[in-house]
Amino acid sequence: MHIPDGILPLSLTVAGLAAAAGVTAVSLWRIKARPDPRADVPRAALMTAVFFVASLVHIPVPPTSVHLMLSGLMGMLLGWFAMPAILIGLFFQAVMFGHGGLTTLGVNGVIFGLPALAAFGFLCLVRGQGGPACHAVTAFAAGAGAVMLAVALFTAVLLAGLPAHLDAATERRAILALALAHLPLAVVEGLVVAAVLGFLRRVSPELLRAA
Amino acid sequence: MALALLAAPGPVLGHAALIDVMETRAVTIHARYDTGQPLAEAQVAVFAPDDPRTPWLTGRTDADGRFSFVPDGREGRWAIQARQAGHGAMGYITWGAAEPGEATMLALASPAATDGLQRLVLAACVVWACISTALYFRRRPAGHKGAR
Repeated sequence: MHIPDGILPLSLTVAGLAAAAGVTAVSLWRIKARPDPRADVPRAALMTAVFFVASLVHIPVPPTSVHLMLSGLMGMLLGWFAMPAILIGLFFQAVMFGHGGLTTLGVNGVIFGLPALAAFGFLCLVRGQGGPACHAVTAFAAGAGAVMLAVALFTAVLLAGLPAHLDAATERRAILALALAHLPLAVVEGLVVAAVLGFLRRVSPELLRAA
Repeated sequence: MALALLAAPGPVLGHAALIDVMETRAVTIHARYDTGQPLAEAQVAVFAPDDPRTPWLTGRTDADGRFSFVPDGREGRWAIQARQAGHGAMGYITWGAAEPGEATMLALASPAATDGLQRLVLAACVVWACISTALYFRRRPAGHKGAR
């Protein structure tokens, strides 16, 4: 799900960088408006490490394999910190392991960051409603929905940037196959988010309120 | 009769097929994910040194992620891209600089060619950097009461 260097045309690459810069600026502005902007930095740093390592966990979905994304978890635990944390994680993934690229850092940041913020917004909407079962369902929906939104953005960006020399029909089939391979991942991440949030609600609910 | 046969059009006599067999230098790429899984049936585009925008040759990798081609003799840096579903890599080779028969290195433009131990050490370094950042910011500013 990381788009590497050299895959997208220059226009999409620049647009991705601009969009990521815009979303990050809004996020930082919202963080700065908090009474203590430093308060959640430790949690953001630790979640950045989790996000960074998650891309190394491959789940075989024959005939391919996918890796964890954790956009939903990042958004629901970090709130506005999610976007800068994801960008830092993506930077290290690109530099250390070649997952993604530096020129596509903006596009990948949007693909991973927007679903995280969408999950955060969803959590804000349903916060305080229903019982534990309702919380688990909404957490699952946010986690799985973040993966689906990321896959939709990834697919849209790739289809918009197909070069003329490529066999478009073949590439579309390959992209569709990859998107379908992420359906099991959406279920897995939904369950992970539901489990983590359920655990935090029991042992440390203030962590969720802080986000 | 003999004159008539000699005057017949050439193609009538053209039933012979000829094959010249020769040894030549070629370029082979091996496209794969960092998990070791090959990019099977990936689309390949080869760019000549003097035209990096228009592919000189296109094709597909085999089931093992391999693709071979013979450059047309133009010297310089050839670029080869293999991609599939938004994943892929660009490789380069300088053609003409090596002596005939000498092995020529193909470097994939990706730092992913690391072994398991290297990846583990790199990941540990980044994780430790994140933990250090968390510990640093966990300290409350001087004069702040109720340190956590």
